[in-house]
Amino acid sequence: MTSKPNRPTSPRFRSSLTSTKTLLDSLVRLNPLSLLSNPVMFIVELTFFIVAAMAIYPPAFYPVANSSMRIYYVEVSLILLITAWFSTLADALAETQAKNTASSLRSLESEVQSKKIVTEADVRRIVTTPSTALRKGDLILLEKNDVVPIDAEVLEGIGMVDESLLTGESTPVRKAPGDEVIGGSRVISDTLTARVTVNPEDTYISEMIRLVESSKRPRTPNEVAVTTVLIGLTAIFTIIVVALLGLSVTLDLAVDLSVLIALYVCLLPTTIGALLPSIGLSGVSRLYQRKIVAKSGRAVERAGDTDVIILDKTGTITVGNRQAVEFIPVSSHTEKEVGEAAFLSSWHDDTPEGRSLIRLAYEDGFVPRELNALGVSEVYEFSASTRTSGVKISQGTGFMLPKGDKSGRERGRLRRKFEAHQEAGSIIGEDEIEIIKGAPDAIKKIARSIPSNFDALVDEISSQGDTPLAVTRNREVIGVIRLKDVLKPGIREKILSVKVMGIRPVMLTGDQPLTAKSIASEVGIDEYRPEAKPEDKYDIVTREQAETRVVAMIGDGTNDAPALAVADVGLAMNSGTQAAKEAANMVDLESNPAKIIEVVMLGKQLLMTRGAVTTFSIANDVAKYFAIVPVMFATTHPELKALNILGLGLNTAVLSALIFNAAIIPLLIPLAMKGIRFKPTSTMGLFIKNALIYGVGGIIVPFIGIKLIDIALLSIGG
Amino acid sequence: MGWREYFLSALIVNIFQMSLAFIIFVFQNILPLNPQGFPGLNLDLAFMQVISFATNTNLQHYNGEGVCNNPPDCYPLSSMPGLSYLSQMTAVQFLQFTSAATGLCVAVAMVRGFVSHSQNMGNFYTDFVRSLTRLFLPLCFVAALIFVGLGVPQTIGGYQTVTTVEGATQTILVGPVASLVSIMQIGTNGGGYYGANSAYPFQNPNPASDIFQILLMLLIPTSLCFVFGQLLGKRREARPIIIGAYSLFALDLLLAFIPTYGLGRGIEVRFGGFFSTFWTVVTTAVTTGSVNANLAGMNPLVILSAFMGMLIQSAPGGKGVGLMYMVMYVVITVFIVGLMSGRTPEYLGMKINARDVKFVMITFLVHPVIILVPTVLAYATGAASAVRVSTGSTGFTRIFYEFTSAAANNGSDFLGAAGNTPFFNISTALVMFIGRFAPIGLLLALAGSMINRKRSTEIGLRTDSITFTIVLVGSILLLVVLTFFPFLALGPILEFFQKRVNGF
Repeated sequence: MTSKPNRPTSPRFRSSLTSTKTLLDSLVRLNPLSLLSNPVMFIVELTFFIVAAMAIYPPAFYPVANSSMRIYYVEVSLILLITAWFSTLADALAETQAKNTASSLRSLESEVQSKKIVTEADVRRIVTTPSTALRKGDLILLEKNDVVPIDAEVLEGIGMVDESLLTGESTPVRKAPGDEVIGGSRVISDTLTARVTVNPEDTYISEMIRLVESSKRPRTPNEVAVTTVLIGLTAIFTIIVVALLGLSVTLDLAVDLSVLIALYVCLLPTTIGALLPSIGLSGVSRLYQRKIVAKSGRAVERAGDTDVIILDKTGTITVGNRQAVEFIPVSSHTEKEVGEAAFLSSWHDDTPEGRSLIRLAYEDGFVPRELNALGVSEVYEFSASTRTSGVKISQGTGFMLPKGDKSGRERGRLRRKFEAHQEAGSIIGEDEIEIIKGAPDAIKKIARSIPSNFDALVDEISSQGDTPLAVTRNREVIGVIRLKDVLKPGIREKILSVKVMGIRPVMLTGDQPLTAKSIASEVGIDEYRPEAKPEDKYDIVTREQAETRVVAMIGDGTNDAPALAVADVGLAMNSGTQAAKEAANMVDLESNPAKIIEVVMLGKQLLMTRGAVTTFSIANDVAKYFAIVPVMFATTHPELKALNILGLGLNTAVLSALIFNAAIIPLLIPLAMKGIRFKPTSTMGLFIKNALIYGVGGIIVPFIGIKLIDIALLSIGG
Repeated sequence: MGWREYFLSALIVNIFQMSLAFIIFVFQNILPLNPQGFPGLNLDLAFMQVISFATNTNLQHYNGEGVCNNPPDCYPLSSMPGLSYLSQMTAVQFLQFTSAATGLCVAVAMVRGFVSHSQNMGNFYTDFVRSLTRLFLPLCFVAALIFVGLGVPQTIGGYQTVTTVEGATQTILVGPVASLVSIMQIGTNGGGYYGANSAYPFQNPNPASDIFQILLMLLIPTSLCFVFGQLLGKRREARPIIIGAYSLFALDLLLAFIPTYGLGRGIEVRFGGFFSTFWTVVTTAVTTGSVNANLAGMNPLVILSAFMGMLIQSAPGGKGVGLMYMVMYVVITVFIVGLMSGRTPEYLGMKINARDVKFVMITFLVHPVIILVPTVLAYATGAASAVRVSTGSTGFTRIFYEFTSAAANNGSDFLGAAGNTPFFNISTALVMFIGRFAPIGLLLALAGSMINRKRSTEIGLRTDSITFTIVLVGSILLLVVLTFFPFLALGPILEFFQKRVNGF
């Protein structure tokens, strides 16, 4: 499988490629002053001015220019200008792409009208204010169906808020005083008063978006290092060309300055020089297209270096909830009895686990006749201290409860604390049924007798990595339900690809060791930490880092914040706490923890793309030398034509090399913006493959390209 | 010592030693052990020669034995400068020892920077003294005795005037040759006792001494590659260094042996084409610079191969410095191509950052500047034509070779005593000095910044693999040889094509 995550190409991105605004932008960027930040391209433009001057007034450049070659100078200068323009075009395209992705994120917190509460002379007044005009500390009123204009803290009222746009979680979230509401979410019930916690320009997302939009985004350490190489190479080639110019005069080699400049520009690492900024920017854009915002480009690159990836079992590896898969009766009881008891006890249980019990019972046809008595049942809610839940039904009374109509509030009325009943001892009446289900050891405490094979059965289920749930009817153990963790689709392949790349996945789970082991081995993880508490993450991260490993992790809760802060790559869920989001260096707006793997792949892709284009650019020099040097000295030293192994035309060789040098830039723009494709293999495997494609290919391709351009030029009589 | 202290210690000690040698050269006429009565060296020549010996270059703009006016009877020796026995033994040999020791010390210091948990780069003085007393002196003592056994003279008895069988008078130019030859080859110095270097029969009497000298040249540069792995505690990491160096050496040999014809005048008939060519490749690959045949008689492709050796400087390169260059090539190769593995490039577990890259790039820059600027100046100022060097390919090769040899601290050259002009003395002196100490300083700084850097134990790109070694060799050829391609094209390559047309 390819790890290439599906690329969400927005229609806006495609249209941007042709937009005149981008084209204009690319032309504006040709301003030499704005090119100063890109030394290679600045020099290319400088050489354009020199050759243009040669075309205008050749005698000024005697003896290295010739009036008879003015048309040639015009041609060379045009190609030089186009080379520089291709570079600014790449920049403009990458920036348009980044802005488009950013603004699609920004639409999440687009400008809305808010209801600002103004207190004048002890009288509260509502003023309609655009969200952008709000300031930190302002009070706002949030009524039903209002879009929350900006991040704020609830002061009064309790209401349900739909955060699905931001988090992808469809269940509305209850917000009470002290809770944070996120800008862009929608109030779906009740009325809240809240205090604005950030200025509009400082919201979390705004801050991150601005990072992408700003063309002055700080260079990452790796970009700085690559730029250093480029400046170094530029300096070396400058000396070479200046020395050649000097020799040309002193040794009477009759080399034309325009040819020297052509050689110079061809040797300069123009390809990587032109594409370096866009490669970095596009790398971050790709992350944004996946609804992940990164605090810096540096974090993305760091992700590529990940050695250890800490995965929470729940939410990352498994869908998050267990599902019932089997009813196992004990003693003389039947599967049907267990199924019906499970059905009854789960009727009021709205958790996915409870729903899966009902679904399984229903599919097996275990619908109990006591169903219509549920309306007047007593519900024992799950409590962490007893680790059981259940129901008590008075038989034959009440009415059939239509299945669709069971809102939480109605059921709540009947609820009572379960613990009270346990203490009360035997209060089960003749016509009453009490069903309690729960963790086997907890059930053992309340059951009247334990069947002989109960322990063996429980152990067997546990050892298979599943969770046993014991069921009692009137304090008699009637059976065990097998609950199974459900793996996320495709997670095994993802983990395999991570392992293949030499990254060690570590699974964290609160489960007991046997369950943890079973899940881990099912998805192919060798290392797991069972019975882990969120605080353990910090220990694991620091321990791995002490052994010099680069650690990536995800987190959402406040407990995760310290670990997120120290982890090299910390991906917080947008649904998580503010503390976690602030500690992390990336936030997933869709709150999908499995995306941590994509982040790592994107980081690798970014580094690989940069390395590949750099290598390609430098390797290209071989062919360019062989194209230009033989004809450069052709007037005085025709013997060197023997080096013209491509058989290029004397008048066209230089132009061909120069055209190839320019044309390769737009040809590689898609590669720079999409990143190179790769299959997850070992680090060495990736290296060998890319070295062959971009290193060896970088030597061969220009030979072919230059020859083809030369043939074309000769055929049009150039 | 930190890298700065180590470097400054080395530099100051070297400058002090140069001053001593300078005084001996200039005042050799009034100092003892001058039976031939040689005059003191001119200031510019003395300046150039002390730098030449102290930088392990041994470019010689004089004939050590003096110049015969009317051979074979040499007396009176002409006014062309020769060196007294004292100069040969104290100034020349002394600096040959110390420069070799300095090279070894800085290389070991650099490697220390890469060794994990090292706190500093060692103490220069300790390293310096130990390398002399424990390595160079014992080795040279034995080697000198072997040379004496092979027929190399070792005497301070003065030149002998004898009557030959035919009754003619002949001056036998003898002196303390064996001791000098041993250190000049072991220390990859290359400065011969005689102007003709090891082409002179007394310095290299027979094929056995020829082969022995080749072995001595290769001895320490090759051993150092293994020392690298040993010091790191990771012997496998020496593999790309040694295999890379010898692959480049093999390429040099291949290039030199392509022409099966065209060995011209000046080839030493005692050794024949094979040994002359082989020697030339070795002497430039390890930047020794001794010669056993006249370079002017070589096929241009052999000269091209010599250029490659000097421009790469690490195939396997000079004492110590060759290893330093190779480590530098590894670092830059890891950085440029290592990115393609999808991880931030690491060498020996250390992330390579912008600062490291800066040091490497400046080191790369040193060579083109100090070779090309004086080459152009030599023509622009007319200094080249003053020594009767043409503007054609042969002439250009000679000037380009002179500065390449000086920059690479090799020391072989075409000019010889003809280069004894103020321009060439001063320009080559500066080139040698910068070519020696700038890269040493920069690479020590690189190693200095590696000390105590966080090291990952995870293996990303395997730098000890054959794949990496192949990429390393490719990138060295690409970065170094290609840089100078236009100049090589104007020199030996053009000469080759011209001779192919006009006959060798």
